[in-house]
Amino acid sequence: MSTATEAESGALPSLAPTSKADHAWIVAKHFAIFFFLLALWELGSRAGWIDPLLYPAPWSITKQIVLIYFIQGNVWHHLYITFAEALSGLFVGSLIGIGLATAAALSLRFREYIKPYIIVIEATPRIAVGPIFIAWLGFGFSSKVALAALVCFFGPFVNTLTGLLNIDAEAEELFRSMRANKWQTFWGLRVPNSATILMAGMKLGCASAFGGALVAEFISANEGMGVLMSRYTYVLNMNGAFATLLSITLFAFLLFKFADAVDYYIVFWRSDKLMQRKSKKRKAAFLKSLG
Amino acid sequence: MTDATIGASGIEARTELAETGWKRLAMHILVFVIIVGVWELAGVFNQLNDLLLPAPSVIIGKFAEMWLPEALGGTGRIYYHFFLTLWEAVAGFFIGVSIGVSLAVTAAVSPMFRRYLAPYAVAFNVTPGIAVAPLIIAWFGFGISSKIALATLVCFFAPFINTLTGLLHVDEEASELFRSMRANRQQYFWKLQLPSSMPLFIAGLKLALTGALLGAIVAEFFSASAGVGILMQRYSFKLDIGSALATLLSMSLMGLLFFTVMEILDYRVIFWKRDSRMQAVSKKRKAAWRM
Repeated sequence: MSTATEAESGALPSLAPTSKADHAWIVAKHFAIFFFLLALWELGSRAGWIDPLLYPAPWSITKQIVLIYFIQGNVWHHLYITFAEALSGLFVGSLIGIGLATAAALSLRFREYIKPYIIVIEATPRIAVGPIFIAWLGFGFSSKVALAALVCFFGPFVNTLTGLLNIDAEAEELFRSMRANKWQTFWGLRVPNSATILMAGMKLGCASAFGGALVAEFISANEGMGVLMSRYTYVLNMNGAFATLLSITLFAFLLFKFADAVDYYIVFWRSDKLMQRKSKKRKAAFLKSLG
Repeated sequence: MTDATIGASGIEARTELAETGWKRLAMHILVFVIIVGVWELAGVFNQLNDLLLPAPSVIIGKFAEMWLPEALGGTGRIYYHFFLTLWEAVAGFFIGVSIGVSLAVTAAVSPMFRRYLAPYAVAFNVTPGIAVAPLIIAWFGFGISSKIALATLVCFFAPFINTLTGLLHVDEEASELFRSMRANRQQYFWKLQLPSSMPLFIAGLKLALTGALLGAIVAEFFSASAGVGILMQRYSFKLDIGSALATLLSMSLMGLLFFTVMEILDYRVIFWKRDSRMQAVSKKRKAAWRM
């Protein structure tokens, strides 16, 4: 599971450890390669080797980005809509996922009975329910939230369940030998134990909620990034389509970073600095409570 | 690879059996019959709106109609669409896996390549692959190639990141053993890195297959003339929800088919995960060695 979380956060494993000066040099080299690739693309486009109608040149994409963000400023509204859909979907979906997982962790019988359904739900391409949701809930906001929730609930569900069930055997023995009751074990042992992997599940859910919202918009909607993108593509305004795609990437990345930050504070025992600060605070509170 | 955790096997392993064998199966069937029975009764007493949620018998009727050949009173309509989507997904899967694995092996062998690939991989990871659907349609047209391309795009990342992680995270002690025996690079790769990456690799394949199916279906939503995705969309937009749900059921079937294939692969390839398989294989190898 540890590898699991790592790759999840999108970091490629095991980059060579470097000093600070080296680091700056490496970043510079990265940028050099990046701009070299861009320049090649631009040149290829100007020289007519690459059809600009299908694969627009970097410079015209940049102009288009400036256009949709600052001159026309029409992208903000669509961004807001898609974000609202994806985040509401994530909220609903993770509520359902975590609720189900908690119930399944507490009751062996419930876990047994939902297992076959979970397998079927997992095997079904859930995004395919999109058209049905649109038929049920209409063309507006709610169908997108529903699809996002359906698509994303699985990550938080499985991860929470795994975290709640896979507890350290020795810690469990300690709890038993101190005669902890079921609730104490749950809150004191299982919940903290599941925090790491739950957060990984939420991140995963976040990505799929985005996908769900976008697909629902592709199917039918009148606003949102998905609509913006398909409109641009249908009129073969590829600059616009690329600019939209890049915005999706950028904002998804920011969301990811945000999730990482939340993760950092919730799972405080993973970072030594935070851990010490927290433990100092708790010690002070404890001493104070003694009077 | 929280990726990796998301397999139904995640729940499987930790479910201790409450009852055994037949009794358990009987209880499962009973629960299922009760749920479906209540649903059907609601239909019989006209509590269901056929435009929103038809009774199970209606759905099963539509399902049978789709799957039965004309000689038996059905339309047999699903086969063409089913196998088309199956083909798109499988083709996308193979292309995607080849790309992902070759990138992963290159990145594992060359730290330099790994370092320069990392930022692009991160950017790629946060972009929902299906968001590229409109662009793919514009590039590849309305035919089958655009579906295969989207399936490839959606599915290549999981095998890539999983294989890479598996290749890089080898057991420290095993690695030391290899070094102390003066294993050369080839031996190190083939005898240590490759086998130890297998569990993660297979987990990546599982994800990729689901992803490929998803990509194919989403591309079909966009614009296609055949495939289960478009079938689903047509039925939903006609408000023939019974048929739409029957199509969804067929998609679940396809998903389960994929799931089963992957489980078998998992069982055969990672033989050391299960004791009984391990013993069987080791017995066979012992016999072969004696010869």
